[in-house]
Amino acid sequence: MTINLLKNVKKYGMYALLLGGVLLASCSDDDEAPEPENEVEVFTDVTLIFTNTADASDVVKARAKDPDGEGVQELQILDDITLSAGTTYTLHYEILNALDADDPEDIGAEIKAEDDEHQFFFSFSNNAFTDPEGDGNIDGNTTGAEAINYIDTDDNGDPVGLFTSWTTSSSPLTDGSFRVRLQHQPNVKTSSSGVNDGDTDFDLTFDLDIE
Amino acid sequence: MEKYLLFGLFLFLACLCVHPTQATQFSDSCTYKIQGSIVDAKTKQPIPFAAVMIKNKQQGVVADKHGKFLLDKLCGREHTLVCSSVGYKPATHHHDAHHKEPVIYMAPSASELKSVVVEGEAIVGDMQSIALDKIDGAELATKATRSLASAIGDIQGITFISTGSNVQLPVIHGLYGNRILIINNGVKHGFQNWGSDHAPEIDITSADNISVLKGAAGVRYGPEALGGAVVVEGHPLNLSEKLHGNIASGYQTNGKGYHTNAHLGAGYEKFSYHLGGNYLRMGDRHAPDYSLTNTGMAERSANAGFRYHLPQWDFKVYYSYVDQDLGLLRSSVAESGNLFARSLTADEPLIIRDFSYDINEPRQNTTHHLANLAIDWHSDLGKLALLLSRQINQRQEYDVRRNADLPIIDLDLRTTDTRLEWSHPSFGGLEGTLGLQYFSQNNDNNPGTGTTPFIPNYNTSRFSVFVIESIQKGSNLFELGLRLDHEYNSVRGRETSQAIFRNDYSFTNVTASLGFVRDLSAHWQLRTNLGSAWRTPNMAELYSFGQHGFKTQFGLWRYYTNENGELRTDRVLTEEDDAAEPERGYKWINELTHQKDDHTFTLTAYAHLIDNYIFDRPVAVIGTIRGPMPVFIIDQADALFAGADLTYSRTFTKNLKGTLGASYLWSQNIRKNETLINQPPVNINTELSWKTPSFLGLDASKLTLQTSYSFRQFQAPRTVTPGELISGAVEITPDAEIFDFKDAPEGYFLGHFRWEWGLGSLGGQVEIRNILNTPYRDYLNQMRYFADEPGRNFLFTINYKF
Repeated sequence: MTINLLKNVKKYGMYALLLGGVLLASCSDDDEAPEPENEVEVFTDVTLIFTNTADASDVVKARAKDPDGEGVQELQILDDITLSAGTTYTLHYEILNALDADDPEDIGAEIKAEDDEHQFFFSFSNNAFTDPEGDGNIDGNTTGAEAINYIDTDDNGDPVGLFTSWTTSSSPLTDGSFRVRLQHQPNVKTSSSGVNDGDTDFDLTFDLDIE
Repeated sequence: MEKYLLFGLFLFLACLCVHPTQATQFSDSCTYKIQGSIVDAKTKQPIPFAAVMIKNKQQGVVADKHGKFLLDKLCGREHTLVCSSVGYKPATHHHDAHHKEPVIYMAPSASELKSVVVEGEAIVGDMQSIALDKIDGAELATKATRSLASAIGDIQGITFISTGSNVQLPVIHGLYGNRILIINNGVKHGFQNWGSDHAPEIDITSADNISVLKGAAGVRYGPEALGGAVVVEGHPLNLSEKLHGNIASGYQTNGKGYHTNAHLGAGYEKFSYHLGGNYLRMGDRHAPDYSLTNTGMAERSANAGFRYHLPQWDFKVYYSYVDQDLGLLRSSVAESGNLFARSLTADEPLIIRDFSYDINEPRQNTTHHLANLAIDWHSDLGKLALLLSRQINQRQEYDVRRNADLPIIDLDLRTTDTRLEWSHPSFGGLEGTLGLQYFSQNNDNNPGTGTTPFIPNYNTSRFSVFVIESIQKGSNLFELGLRLDHEYNSVRGRETSQAIFRNDYSFTNVTASLGFVRDLSAHWQLRTNLGSAWRTPNMAELYSFGQHGFKTQFGLWRYYTNENGELRTDRVLTEEDDAAEPERGYKWINELTHQKDDHTFTLTAYAHLIDNYIFDRPVAVIGTIRGPMPVFIIDQADALFAGADLTYSRTFTKNLKGTLGASYLWSQNIRKNETLINQPPVNINTELSWKTPSFLGLDASKLTLQTSYSFRQFQAPRTVTPGELISGAVEITPDAEIFDFKDAPEGYFLGHFRWEWGLGSLGGQVEIRNILNTPYRDYLNQMRYFADEPGRNFLFTINYKF
């Protein structure tokens, strides 16, 4: 009995150790950091670019910057928008992720590629513009002469707003405001979808002066 | 880790070498005795004069009129008993010297029950003074479509915190997540256990039973059992058990869910095996007034066990696989503060679509593999148990975002757990277990998410020793448990600029537990346990950075306050900044049980102090390019929990039984003297069950009516809406009083009904959950911000056993 037992211990003890070894051997320490990722969702810099349709060299830029992306530092609105009275401008954007300052990424191209999921909305001081009139479509009121002048449309013929047209009022304005909001509307965007559909990609308010 | 491993194996070998000298005590003289008792599996009454035979031998005995039997003058110490009595299914049982008196439960021939044998083996908790509740296989079978947390949520004092219908985590006395250890087949379930939106990947149909330990069970199971432990045990793999199995299938109306599971097993003289599998599919669940879009789920699981038995030796191999695809409510996603604000005030979820089985973003896809090998060796020196296990957990989460086809979280977590335990023989009445444990985890991010990893890559190694001893003195049982842990972490992560940060740090801690059990009289029993436990902050609590769901969240080592009192996140902290301390908990739990005639009464009362309790709280609204966003930080405070659970059962007649239960919990942040958030509200519940007389030729039929009332959480923090924060109507500073975004939901009453029936090998049930189709919101469900809970649900299950 004792001898048998001893044999068993030897035999099965070895099996136990072998099996244990197999189970554990595959566990090894490593020292790798995660691979670098190309941040595709973060915006740090948005620039509004107003170009005078009559004079391509007359360009007004207004910049907004969130220096640390997802970090807690406050958004900075770096410029006021100062436009000439009675002038027509085309508005477009430069949208960047500059978390890595040496290699900023252009998010604008990505929005253009997915223009059937995006739309820009606006609100501004009442009658700051003669075309469009009113105070913009963020409040949902977009009829007639108050309709925003979207220049571009997506594949479904719905407005996008990467390019819009603006004619300023002939009377000056000081301390006005201009708010632009980009909505991301995957599977939601239709001809009747509005500012409250989908989710907000950016929502920025600038001071507006017309002189 | 090699040195720890070697140490463990040396010890194992050392113990093996001791044994031959002792083995001589295993003499072949025929003096061995087996005594036990025989009872009716249905009525639990003794069966008089049943025959107990030793298989393949001419030896046997007839039990006395109290169902007790004694077999003596046996040669050898392992025998297969065959027990028979007229009108009952025969029972076969393999008995060895290392188990206490067997109790043989014989099933009447004309019933769906199976004859089983229960041996007086030590319960899983080891610390017998910790309050323990158990759910057996029969009860689990009635809950096949429910999650682990929901299945144990019917226990008094246990509830669950959830993120929708598919992601549910157990809550024991107000604690959840990393403070509740989940033990699956003997090992800590290694999964992404952070936040309330990652549930354990465990298929309850693979479990034989589930035990819940309500005290600090950290001595046996290690850190993280601060609030208790949930112990899931697989098939027992009994020897000498003929081929058996079951096939079950079911359908539920809410979510048009269906499931099928099958189990098969057999035990022979030297070995036994078990195989099982489960498939579960559900579509969108439905609240009383609308569809809960994207709440479908799919689950596939398989498990297999094999046991090989030799005199004194027992080898068990177990493998399980679970694959889950879980949908989360579509309307719960808000990338901006504006949308979140609108979601909270809307009467209905903002996105409601027609019913579908489709699982779209947001969703979670996980697979979990568990393999373990357990070797037990019994001798007069006690029992030596070696457990080796390995788990692989792969998780991908998809979010609604511009790049929805890429996972936003893609993690592989590998866990190994090695344990060597020695349960020594009684030494002057002192019984106990000594153990060594080596535990390691390796977490890696898979590239290609298009976002900076929310959780860094890390390796954790922990080496532990523990001892649990108990001594019985008259009607008193005293217990002591001690444990020493040393944990080492190596972390590598990326900042949003993609710059690498690294850190190596370690913690050492001692855990203790003191227990006392006293039989006050024949009918009264008192248990009391004072336990300490600790837990290191997990990786998410230390390192989370940025947006996850609707929150922007910063871990303890990702934010600091600069000299101007401003919050800053541009630096990764280390242990030298003293910004994070391990949690230390002290729990005192008492249980008083009274059992007499038709009455059973259990009162559990507890107090729990946790130093450096880790929680997340809103701290500010910051301007971002997306508009104003609520910001959360992980913070620490000292917290006190006190509460009581009460259960009173009464057997009115042989067939009619009633139970009344209540749970109460009070909690407070004692450092700031304010309430905590997400604590379970007061609950009162009743259950009435009636075994009906036979009808329609059925063998068994039982009706159960359950009701419960959950009160409004009167201890909820004040409410500050996102709108008020965005507009600046309410100013929040880092030191401001805690708040929540929405009022705690109103109290609600629920009724459930169940009819179980049996006919020979067939069994089944019809169940109605939420009979009154009550619209309600559960305070512990994160989705309460957005949608009601599911409405009325009819469940039909049929089960064939052989």
